[in-house]
Amino acid sequence: MPSLKDLRNRISSVKSTKKITSAMKMVAAAKLKRAQDNAEKTRPYAEKMMEVVSSLTNKGNQTSFKFAKQKDVSKKTTLLLVCSADRGLCGGFNGSIIKFTKKLVDQLKTNGVNTKFIFVGKKAYQALKRLYSDTTIDNISDFANPSIKFEIASSVRDKVLDLYEKNEISECYLIYTKFKSAISQNVEALKLLPVEVEDKNVDSDSGTQQNSISYDYEPSEEFLLEEIIPRNIAVQIHSGLLENLASEQGSRMTAMDNATRNANDMIDNLTLFYNRSRQALITKELIEIISGAEAV
Amino acid sequence: MSFKLEIISPQDKVFDDEVDLCIMPGVEGDFGVLKNHMPFLTTLRLGIAYIYKEKKLIEKFLVNGGVVEISKKQCTLLTEDIVRSKDFEIVNNNDLIEISKKKLVDNPYYS
Repeated sequence: MPSLKDLRNRISSVKSTKKITSAMKMVAAAKLKRAQDNAEKTRPYAEKMMEVVSSLTNKGNQTSFKFAKQKDVSKKTTLLLVCSADRGLCGGFNGSIIKFTKKLVDQLKTNGVNTKFIFVGKKAYQALKRLYSDTTIDNISDFANPSIKFEIASSVRDKVLDLYEKNEISECYLIYTKFKSAISQNVEALKLLPVEVEDKNVDSDSGTQQNSISYDYEPSEEFLLEEIIPRNIAVQIHSGLLENLASEQGSRMTAMDNATRNANDMIDNLTLFYNRSRQALITKELIEIISGAEAV
Repeated sequence: MSFKLEIISPQDKVFDDEVDLCIMPGVEGDFGVLKNHMPFLTTLRLGIAYIYKEKKLIEKFLVNGGVVEISKKQCTLLTEDIVRSKDFEIVNNNDLIEISKKKLVDNPYYS
């Protein structure tokens, strides 16, 4: 049985841990609010951009522009942009991203597709660098310090397009965590390249297309697509990063909330045990005194 | 005769109001937008967007590229790089591009 002093020490150490976790929870909650605001601010831009792109691609006969071309199928290489957090202590957040990535890579491997990686965020890179060190192209960390800038997204976009134009990759996916609420987030893979031109949409929408406005394009549709699609990719990366940050803070908040609650439970149990031991000790001493007195 | 103009950047909604006229630097030349403009889609080059309301120039923006979509109801400008001209400052004194940008902002072509 541990002595009373041991118990006291344990209680005080759990208490100080609780202080830390509850402080972290508070900080995460404040950051979550800001991250959510930022994610919402980009939404109108991203939505409008999607509208413009889909109005252009749905016009049909756009399969000729350079980002829609399906590249040589014989040597398929997929680039995965893996977004994770820079720090730990956020529950299963980084773990689920890593698991998702591994699963996707295995899936692609069985289909005979090679993979390459660009990591945004330290944690996924640290976990996966040993497995995929030879196919890692780049690793960007400290990106959310103090807030996510659009320049990061556009620099990543430039790298991706550069690789795509050099024929080193044939596809590109963005792996990030979509923010639903503070307690539920989903890891998702979003296809960035090649841009999908849905022929089906052209057919089914052709009826409505006539009613919708036909735009005057200047200088030409191909030129506009080549200008707009890189922008759209940057926007998608940017909003993916923002969603990821919001998810990270949300998941940290929940994890720290759980930790605080666990610490509370532990303190209750330990205090109960401590009081019991103390009382047992007092009783034992009393018995000793009484039986000693009786003997005399 | 006014229409709705929205200027949206990834960080923020920069401008959202009813205006009478706006002049923008399109890739193929400057163009003005009035009410009931035909549906139109184009990209921008580096230049100044002028916004007029009640026959007065109310706002100037320095834009560096972007996409303009004009539909029946409204005009939307999507851009990543935009500064309100009165907020524009030269950061680096030796940067000739910045200095020319400043000159451009100080001497508007349309007023």
